[in-house]
Amino acid sequence: MNTSGLMLFWVSAAVALGSAVGTISMRNPLRAAVSLLIHILSLCGIYLSLKAHLLATIQVLVYAGAVVVLFIFVIMLIGPTANEQRAPRAVGTRILGAVGALLSTSVLAFTLVRHDAQLLPIPQCPPGAGAECGQFGGVTAVGAELYLGSMVPFELVSILLTVAIVGAIAVAKGKTTATSPKNEGPTTPEGAA
Amino acid sequence: MLDLIIRFSPLVLVLVGAAAVMLADAFSDKGQSNDLSTVTFWAFVGASGGAIGLWVQGDTMALHPLVAPFLAADPMALLLDAVIAGAGAITALLAGAYLREHQMERGEYYVVMLLAAFGAMVLVHSTHLLSVFVGLETMSLGVYSLAAFRRTSPRSVEGAMKYFLLGSFAAALLLFGMALLYGATGEMELAAIATALVEGSAHNTLALLGTALITAGLAFKVGAVPFHMWSPDVYEGAATSVTAFMAVVVKVAAFTVWVRIAVVALSAANLADPFSGWPPLVMGLAVASMLVGNLSALVQTNVKRMLAYSSIAHAGYIMVGFVAYAHSAAGGDEGAGDQALSAMLLYLASYAASSLLVFGSLIWAGSKGKEVVSYEDLKGLGRRHPWIGVAMMVGALSLMGFPPTAGFIGKYYLFQSAVNVGDGLIPLVIFAVLASAVGAFYYLKLIVVMYMEDQEQEAAQAVPMRSVHLWAAIGLAAYFVFRIGIAPGNYMEIAIGAARAL
Repeated sequence: MNTSGLMLFWVSAAVALGSAVGTISMRNPLRAAVSLLIHILSLCGIYLSLKAHLLATIQVLVYAGAVVVLFIFVIMLIGPTANEQRAPRAVGTRILGAVGALLSTSVLAFTLVRHDAQLLPIPQCPPGAGAECGQFGGVTAVGAELYLGSMVPFELVSILLTVAIVGAIAVAKGKTTATSPKNEGPTTPEGAA
Repeated sequence: MLDLIIRFSPLVLVLVGAAAVMLADAFSDKGQSNDLSTVTFWAFVGASGGAIGLWVQGDTMALHPLVAPFLAADPMALLLDAVIAGAGAITALLAGAYLREHQMERGEYYVVMLLAAFGAMVLVHSTHLLSVFVGLETMSLGVYSLAAFRRTSPRSVEGAMKYFLLGSFAAALLLFGMALLYGATGEMELAAIATALVEGSAHNTLALLGTALITAGLAFKVGAVPFHMWSPDVYEGAATSVTAFMAVVVKVAAFTVWVRIAVVALSAANLADPFSGWPPLVMGLAVASMLVGNLSALVQTNVKRMLAYSSIAHAGYIMVGFVAYAHSAAGGDEGAGDQALSAMLLYLASYAASSLLVFGSLIWAGSKGKEVVSYEDLKGLGRRHPWIGVAMMVGALSLMGFPPTAGFIGKYYLFQSAVNVGDGLIPLVIFAVLASAVGAFYYLKLIVVMYMEDQEQEAAQAVPMRSVHLWAAIGLAAYFVFRIGIAPGNYMEIAIGAARAL
């Protein structure tokens, strides 16, 4: 990785860590959502430093563009000042949680830093290389991998989405409609939509 | 293409069933009552029949190269397809009875159930980390929403919420483990991971850490201690037909994929070492599950909570077979290893049949507003309603491991396979036998309460429901409990065949 790539990586990684901590520690839900947005954008920087251009674009479009906006909509609907009621937690629990988190993080960090695995090189395009070399991480390369190599998991994901949608309907309907179909009133436009 | 459809006909039939139920539900008039549970039942029976047919045919032709890395159609997958689809068929009947009685019947239930079972079946076929994860999530998302299906009950919603949050966390652990394993080996296909690990091109510490995280994620799904916190709440809160589905299908599928990952991918000498790899981890989980599961089940007053802790203990027994496999594989004894694996598979099948019988009897004993919840409600039930008493007694005896029921054969065969491995596992087997002796106490308590205690006069009595669906489900479950218990011969052969082919 060249110097500018490394710089991009380190800056993005530091911002990603900081904003991740911000997301879970902010009291104000709107600030937490904005921290999440910053986190997602810095992940995008990490993807770019790995030459995964398409993934970085999708990250911005889907997560920053759609998911976080949805979160913010919901927060604004409920009211941005809505604070959760926190029960004061015992000091013992807090210390135990902190120790547990520290231990597991350090085991992970220690193994990852001390590894001796050979690093897989990111393909570099020497000057004068063909156009297909620059495709790594681009639409064509990702598309070929997704629709040719991994066709089976791709198709299985469609079932996963179906079960998620039907499951959401099953849970949501349980509260709003009468349980016996005979007691249901005429269908409202909202219900039909 | 046709070849693929035939080879995966159990999965295809379940999907077709889901589509049929969805369409039937969408195009039916309001107020018209549909018997969707029967449609679901026949879809599952078809899938089960398809799996048995494929087993008999014994086709070993190579799969299409696009499919082969992700899904296998080997004997073990077919056997577990049959078990999952069979359990699905019985739970569909139970749901047909339970939901109608409690006026919660909605078509989505059956669709989600079929799709969750499809995820479970993908899981037992998976030979690639990607398909493992997608299958696991398909199953889990379905089960989360089934657990929340009884929206009017705060307990159901609370349990489902806990299950969802903790389950997502476990899925993240699993995914992290998979990423580390991929980082260590550069492969995602189970067989290729094994090759990379054995040939030494892989990085060991990373692989070990990945193994630990994958073990933790899967231990959550099977409900092993210390990853069991969710299960009593979810088992108690969910509708009883959902609890039966969760107790059986999720456990069977998660154990199978765990076995496949451990046996196929993590079989390298340093990872499967009986003293420093995943086997001591599994042994610790087994001992903790047997201890905590049995002791906590003793003090429960709610029958469904008791069954939740007992299912945790059963996960512990099954892991004894897992440890036995690891020890015999490390010792180079392939025969004993196959025996241990087949004992696990047989135990899963017998556990499925007995659990379905107990949960079915629980459903049978109650009706709307008069459900059986605690031991108090069961008092004198055996004398008031002899048939329900007999069904529940047989189920409880089978879970306990009393001959001539399936549970006895399962436990006997499992512990024997562990003893055969050698002296090293004798203490573990003694512990497991002692633990099941503790278990006998609370199963017998169920029977004692039903037959020997009288309900107080003013106490509300549970009123049994009447439903043909339910009687059919109880009959099927009881048939398998006695079939495996009295004549286990060819079931054992099938399990051995599946273990050999893995």
